[in-house]
Amino acid sequence: MHGVKRRQWTKDQLKQKKEKDRMKIDVYSSLVNSTLDRRDKNDHSLTALEDTTKLLDMNPEFNTMWNYRRDIIAKLKTELPLQFWDKELKFIMVQLKKFPKVYWIWNHRIWVLNNYPGSPASVWERELDIVSALLEVDARNFHGWHYRRMVVGKLENITGKSMDAGELAYASKKINNNISNFSAWHQRVQLIDRMFANGEIEDRKEFMEKEINYLTNAMFTDAEDQSVWFYINWFVNYPLVQSILGKEQYIRFLESMTTNILMINDDDIEFSGSDNSWCLKILLVIEQRQKELSPGFESHSVQYLEKLVVMDPLRKNRYLHLLSKQ
Amino acid sequence: MLSPERRPSVAERRPSLYMYQQPNSITVPHLAGIEDPLPETTPEKVDVLIVGTGIVESMLAAALAWQGSSVLHIDSNDYYGDTSATMTVDQVKRWVERIHQGLVPCYSDAKLYVSNSIHPNGKYISKDFGIDLSPKILFSKSDLLSILVKSRVYQYLEFQSLSTFHTYENDSFEKLTNTKQEIFTDQNLPLMTKRNIMKFIKFVLEWEAHPEIWEPYADRTLMELLVEKFKLEKPQVFELMFSIGLCYNIDAKIPGSLQRIRRYLSSYDVYGPFPVMYSKYGGAGEISQGFCRSAAVAGATYKLNERLLSFDPNTKVATFQDGSKVSVEEKVVISPTQASEYSKNVPAQKYEVHRLTCVVEKDCTEWFAEGESAAVIVFPPQSLKSGNKQVVQAFILGSNSECCPRGTSIWYLSSTEQGPRAEMDLDAALEAMEMSILRESDQDIAADDDLVQMAADGHAAVINSVKLGKSFKEYISREKVQFLFKLYYTQYTATPAFDVVNPTFFDTGAQISGKLIPGASDNGCLYTAMPSSEISYDEVVSAAKVLYEKIVGSDDDFFDIDFEDEDEVANNEQSKLSYENAIEDDDDDVGGADRDIEMQDETSEFVGEMEL
Repeated sequence: MHGVKRRQWTKDQLKQKKEKDRMKIDVYSSLVNSTLDRRDKNDHSLTALEDTTKLLDMNPEFNTMWNYRRDIIAKLKTELPLQFWDKELKFIMVQLKKFPKVYWIWNHRIWVLNNYPGSPASVWERELDIVSALLEVDARNFHGWHYRRMVVGKLENITGKSMDAGELAYASKKINNNISNFSAWHQRVQLIDRMFANGEIEDRKEFMEKEINYLTNAMFTDAEDQSVWFYINWFVNYPLVQSILGKEQYIRFLESMTTNILMINDDDIEFSGSDNSWCLKILLVIEQRQKELSPGFESHSVQYLEKLVVMDPLRKNRYLHLLSKQ
Repeated sequence: MLSPERRPSVAERRPSLYMYQQPNSITVPHLAGIEDPLPETTPEKVDVLIVGTGIVESMLAAALAWQGSSVLHIDSNDYYGDTSATMTVDQVKRWVERIHQGLVPCYSDAKLYVSNSIHPNGKYISKDFGIDLSPKILFSKSDLLSILVKSRVYQYLEFQSLSTFHTYENDSFEKLTNTKQEIFTDQNLPLMTKRNIMKFIKFVLEWEAHPEIWEPYADRTLMELLVEKFKLEKPQVFELMFSIGLCYNIDAKIPGSLQRIRRYLSSYDVYGPFPVMYSKYGGAGEISQGFCRSAAVAGATYKLNERLLSFDPNTKVATFQDGSKVSVEEKVVISPTQASEYSKNVPAQKYEVHRLTCVVEKDCTEWFAEGESAAVIVFPPQSLKSGNKQVVQAFILGSNSECCPRGTSIWYLSSTEQGPRAEMDLDAALEAMEMSILRESDQDIAADDDLVQMAADGHAAVINSVKLGKSFKEYISREKVQFLFKLYYTQYTATPAFDVVNPTFFDTGAQISGKLIPGASDNGCLYTAMPSSEISYDEVVSAAKVLYEKIVGSDDDFFDIDFEDEDEVANNEQSKLSYENAIEDDDDDVGGADRDIEMQDETSEFVGEMEL
């Protein structure tokens, strides 16, 4: 009947639901017991495989079951048809969608891909599409990023071609979407370092200048975001920046960073009455470099540290320690 | 009887869609009056009588019906929607005639032009068009959207996205830079401007938590806060105030205007990269029908072509024009447009909303984002030749909205200016739009190399519209925009522009004085609010809730519906296994991951058109 409200028989409903839940729990525990039993008896039959399917579908966080499942698949490998492997990948995807942050499931997926008969490039290419779609849904899932690196690495192995440039563009796209994507910034660091090491960057100087422009924009867009500051911290200390730009231009870069960061900090003081602690922390990093490069450099580090001691009491002793060394 | 001249109803268009899509969802019986013959007789006794099928009344009817009240819902017209109706051209013609005869309260000064091309044997026919009397956009994060989902009325509707908001400035249409991504990647914005916009956006998303920032400006204007505190310059200020905040003039006050800006920003990326949606096949008219249908499912009785003659508060009997009577236990709720003769309690509708609705023979895709079929254009104060003091807002719908045929588009313009100046402003805005669309769509322009950005392969890639705006200030086109339809009208409302629906709007004369007015045919009745100038649906839920509370005593159980199949639906969505709930699930981080990842090829198709 439509229009009859559920609430009128809520009590009944509750009882029914409890009853239903109890039944579910009973089904689950007996299945756990029987499957563990099979495992202890080294049962590697299709029936056992079927039982782990049922169980893992109920509880994909059950690592022991994934292990057992792999044992069975490994034993049955020669008997299993090719379709099994695609079906298995689909099954894992269903579980990943329920639990995108469970290590065991990711682990199992990589194992299945590695054991996929012939492990052809097409399987890994499809995998890259899948991980892209996953990062589309949750761009900051570090499992996804880590997994992406593995898949790309595998594809590079198979094809013998570097995918770094495309991956850097992908990471940039994700950062542009959301500047606070720490995983994407991290990916950027990894890729840039590797691309320089492998000589994949043609105009090294132009690349560095573009990177400086990029991080300056990021800093002004969101001066509260720590992933941007982490990246700047890495970049300022990245040895290649100085060697590619040359000492003079590198010093000019540090000076212009200082000007910009002070501008942001002054703006924060005017707006909210207090310094921006990230600005001060990065200024310290920059000054450290400046002191190394120009012996007569007039440092403001003491002043910054004294402010930080008050502003950031959780790290007070670290600042005091640094002060003692000034 | 049902008018033969009408657009197909939701159910007629997609009679079996829900069954097909969701085999386990409830079966929705047809709504009496839309698909079935109208009932011959009305019930003898009901809890609530609602007169008028506008969106507020329809939502109220559904809420009451699901709460368990018996509802008789009537409309004096032969179509659903009342002040929210979506009409064919012929229906508009009749409506305008009735305004001229003084038969439609709360509307005046209707002027209509219909081209010969719209004719039973012409290029277009009347039924090709769905003209909204109160055109509206739906924010992705809004109370109406929650109600649509909660009540499942969304299942009757189809939504499309709208992401393009233009601000008219210096004789050209500037597109908004409003997402963090656009601000970050925009190469033309000065660094400090980026910072200032971002600072404001962060603040406004949680403005309640930062009284130290806005309270000093509480008696002043949003403009002053943006300029003094956030150091923003005119283009950004105007974008934030008029396109994002959809404010009406430069005096917009704090904190109301902050709320409006947040509404836009927090709606972005809820369902995708757009802040706003609109319902296909017609706006408020479609949603009204959806609620009527839901009310009918819950047991409400519908009757069109039925006019209330009077209500006697002592005997509690309502009498209709056809002589039938009904005894009303609780309340009679009436739309001001359908007030009975000799009514003396209708609240004063003090404020004017001026509207100009045009159908033009141009698809206007130049204004839409890729894959979309709608845009909003805002004309800030002093941006028009008429020296407008109030904003003119324009809502453009292309043919993918299924409200007009291919090659045409509907332009809805509205102004909150009071008096005869309003029409001058509307005309000036229309002229600016005409000029702009001619400029941007003129074929000859592509021949001018300077205006066309060449792609690497030598093909003309992008025609830069900002450049066009500047260099073609004096541009006179040889072409003219063909108007198929042009309708001016003034609508009256009790809700002042920029205000929200206030419970006192519903207080009738008799309630204020505590006495019945002798000879009045509507003593003891409640009146609903006329739609205001608001371009979003934001006032609708509050209006329905206030009325609901007046009838039921509290709004606690407003659309608190437990569908019988709730469990089944939930289970089917999660897994086909029946025992998957056996384990305590911690699926917090699944957040929105219900998209089928394996369906690679389909994902891109969902961008332009989506169903919730």
